[in-house]
Amino acid sequence: MKQLSRGAFALPGTSLDFKTGTWRNEMPVHNHFGAPCHVACPAGEDAQAYIAKLMEGHEKEAWEILVSANPLPATTARVCPHFCEQACNRKHMDQPIAIHLIERYLGDEAIKHNWAYPLDAKRMEGEPVCVVGAGPAGLSAAYHLRRLGHPVTLIDALPEPGGLLRTAIPVTRLPRDVLDAEIGRLLKLGITFKPRTALGRDVRLEDLLAQHAYVFLAPGAAKSRHWSVDGAVPSDLREGLGLLKEWLIVGDIPKPKSVAIHGGGNTAVDLARVMKRAGVAEVHVITASGLPGPDADPKDVLNVVPREFDQAVEEGIVFHAHRTIQRLLMRGSKLVGLEMVHLKKLPGAGGRSSRVAFEGTETVLHVEMVVPAIGEVVDAQGFESLLGQADYFKADPLGQITTSDRVLVGGDARGDRGTVTAAIGDGRLAAAAIHAKLTGEALPDPKRRPFIDYDKLNVNYFEPSPRAEETMLPVGKRTDIDEIEGGLTRAQVTHEIGRCFSCGNCLACDNCWTLCPDNAVIKTQERAKDGSHYVFDYEYCKGCGLCAHECPSGYIVMTPD
Amino acid sequence: MDSTQLKKEIQERRRQAQSAPSEESRPAEHNMAELRKLQPRYRGLEAGHRACQGCGEALAARLVTEAAGPDVILTNATGCLEVFTTPWPQSAWRLPWIHSLFENSAAVASGVEAALKAQGRKTKVIAQGGDGGTFDIGFQALSGMLERQHNILYVCYDNEAYMNTGIQRSGSTPHAAMTTTSPPGKERMGKRHLKKDLLSIIAAHHIPYAASASVAYPADIRRKVRRAVSIEGPTFLLIHSPCPLGWGIESDISIEVARLAVQTGLFPVVELERGELTGVMPIRHPKPVADYLKLQNRFKHLFTEDPRAREEREHLQALADHNIEIYQLKGDGMDALDTDGADTVRRGGMVD
Repeated sequence: MKQLSRGAFALPGTSLDFKTGTWRNEMPVHNHFGAPCHVACPAGEDAQAYIAKLMEGHEKEAWEILVSANPLPATTARVCPHFCEQACNRKHMDQPIAIHLIERYLGDEAIKHNWAYPLDAKRMEGEPVCVVGAGPAGLSAAYHLRRLGHPVTLIDALPEPGGLLRTAIPVTRLPRDVLDAEIGRLLKLGITFKPRTALGRDVRLEDLLAQHAYVFLAPGAAKSRHWSVDGAVPSDLREGLGLLKEWLIVGDIPKPKSVAIHGGGNTAVDLARVMKRAGVAEVHVITASGLPGPDADPKDVLNVVPREFDQAVEEGIVFHAHRTIQRLLMRGSKLVGLEMVHLKKLPGAGGRSSRVAFEGTETVLHVEMVVPAIGEVVDAQGFESLLGQADYFKADPLGQITTSDRVLVGGDARGDRGTVTAAIGDGRLAAAAIHAKLTGEALPDPKRRPFIDYDKLNVNYFEPSPRAEETMLPVGKRTDIDEIEGGLTRAQVTHEIGRCFSCGNCLACDNCWTLCPDNAVIKTQERAKDGSHYVFDYEYCKGCGLCAHECPSGYIVMTPD
Repeated sequence: MDSTQLKKEIQERRRQAQSAPSEESRPAEHNMAELRKLQPRYRGLEAGHRACQGCGEALAARLVTEAAGPDVILTNATGCLEVFTTPWPQSAWRLPWIHSLFENSAAVASGVEAALKAQGRKTKVIAQGGDGGTFDIGFQALSGMLERQHNILYVCYDNEAYMNTGIQRSGSTPHAAMTTTSPPGKERMGKRHLKKDLLSIIAAHHIPYAASASVAYPADIRRKVRRAVSIEGPTFLLIHSPCPLGWGIESDISIEVARLAVQTGLFPVVELERGELTGVMPIRHPKPVADYLKLQNRFKHLFTEDPRAREEREHLQALADHNIEIYQLKGDGMDALDTDGADTVRRGGMVD
């Protein structure tokens, strides 16, 4: 027998017999938290998912992820206030990811290459559904119903589809060839589109309900809210949305020397810019809200896309924030000026906040014209019985209303919306709800998932990197036709997607695998069912928590074992 | 964030993890033991070792053997690494490995290297030791190894005290740190003396390559190990490796603490060739040393009302500033290899 020395020996790697996993009192698990961009998007776009796909170089697949929620990305990229970017965790480090420009790039590429929506236009196995109103909510509902296989009839009172996208948004923000391309492609998905068909004039709701299993009502809010100052109204009063529509269709706009527009939404700002470009020397916007800025309370700022506000200021629009019109100065029935007063929304007795005007802060503004743009209400023609006396529908998050169990409502007709993106989200949820009702499945859960905060990320692993800037027409070159904002080049898009933190989701960076002192993280695409590339070997994991602490995106959580 | 919904989600993930089917019932490509063998990296130090949770030294040794590859013979000084990797009859090493005494890792390595040389074999010898076995007890053996120009990489895992025997001060323990033999009290605020400047002593041997590194920067460790083993002759690597138990930190922040040691300038990450400074990891934004100290119980006494506490904090800050000055550590804008750039992750894994 071979004589060994006094020393001992052991075979290589035999420590594997000793399962250090028994030491553990906490275990790491993967958990896919919602990303702020995803949770914040009213349309339900998962920006992180399509950014990840784009990073792999699959542009079409990235677009397919995008349109699984929103069929009109090239459009929303141009008109949405971008809730995703406002929520983006990257803002705490430098600037948010330019998600809307990535969305725009994908949307424009899809138009350029004529990519087909990932659905079968011939599949018609479901029940017929009628969608009333071919605006963003109606188009979205029709599209999602088609994705689920239901035959769809889409009716609209106007000769062309698009709703306010076509009638109220200037072409400088949304070129019509982009809109036409997206809507045109969408309507080819086996949707029966009937233009010039107004509810209450050409068809009756009862007939629609007789012919269809469900009706999705998305009439928008098209009737201007009544406006007066203490009962006084100039004899030649025109309201804002009407003027804007007339300008878009006829190309004509009044050109007084000076005008005051009363309101704090996109209509007010769009109209102000149109009038300024048409040659009105002095354009004032009077709003009860505050102006966007670093210290502004987000609940108390103008309801416009922030960069649209910046462009308006660049173009010379004068904003009067936290003001209202207290008195009109008339000579006969003609306006010569108006009296403004400071006011602020303050919490009053009983918890309800109200707007308080401050005595002694009155100022006079000499203007020849005043245009109210204080919002619109629902024109109930054809469905008076459903709406009653209310200005808007009250509906649950899925669009269900109490006055009918076969009619769902979405878009601006609900008082609690106000963006194209929210309307698209309404269409998607209502389609899912209708599908669930028809098939007897459980209704979709509209509740938003918890999202992951910045302090749950380990940002040591990310580098500061400036946001890619889109091109912008200089003020002097802006016209009534040319789009003001440009897109990004592919190189800029590549830079921008590289800035994504991948909040709450694995980005396969290898950190856990590299930093485990116990070799208890195993790299494997095959076994990692959750889509990450790693699994924990709990036989050896001692539960030190290093992987969770050093995970850049907060995808690993320690939980008591 | 909605915490109840979140808790539910995480509970569900935990339940899934715990109720996973047994390993035996899985097909080979999903079997953990098989997957372990298929990892796209060399495994020199295997799981099942007895290091404490969050051990910086275990991580550093894993990274060193990973980068050095399979054609290696290891020697080891007495210390945690020796104890936790080789509880007889098991070994966590998948490489030939030998331990003799506390003081002679470098001497044993010298003998192994001489024998390999006599046999005409090119296998690389890596000698390992903790800071006790390197700065103090094994110092003469190391100096001799360097002086005789053996073709050996000596790696010192620096956790700044004799942790294996119960946290006694070593020549590497930083100034003012508490150990069981340098307790803060009436006479002193922790260790009276300074951390030994070992790299300068190594530099005085004019060896081809000597460097310091930190477990917070794995890609940097890998690069330095590859560099060192490719050199014919004596090379030296000092790796800063936090000890959660000895430093009084939670096991999950040992990387965080290691990173701060580098970012404050207290642990300079440098490279020396023939004794000359040839490279540093620049610090993009030097952090105050208090950020590093306040995370650790061994410096807890520096955050008391005692006027000496403030003085010692300032002293440590001055030492960090001194390091930044003499090694010219202050970075100059964005740099992919500085303290902020070197650990940047990318989708799809690290590129190095």
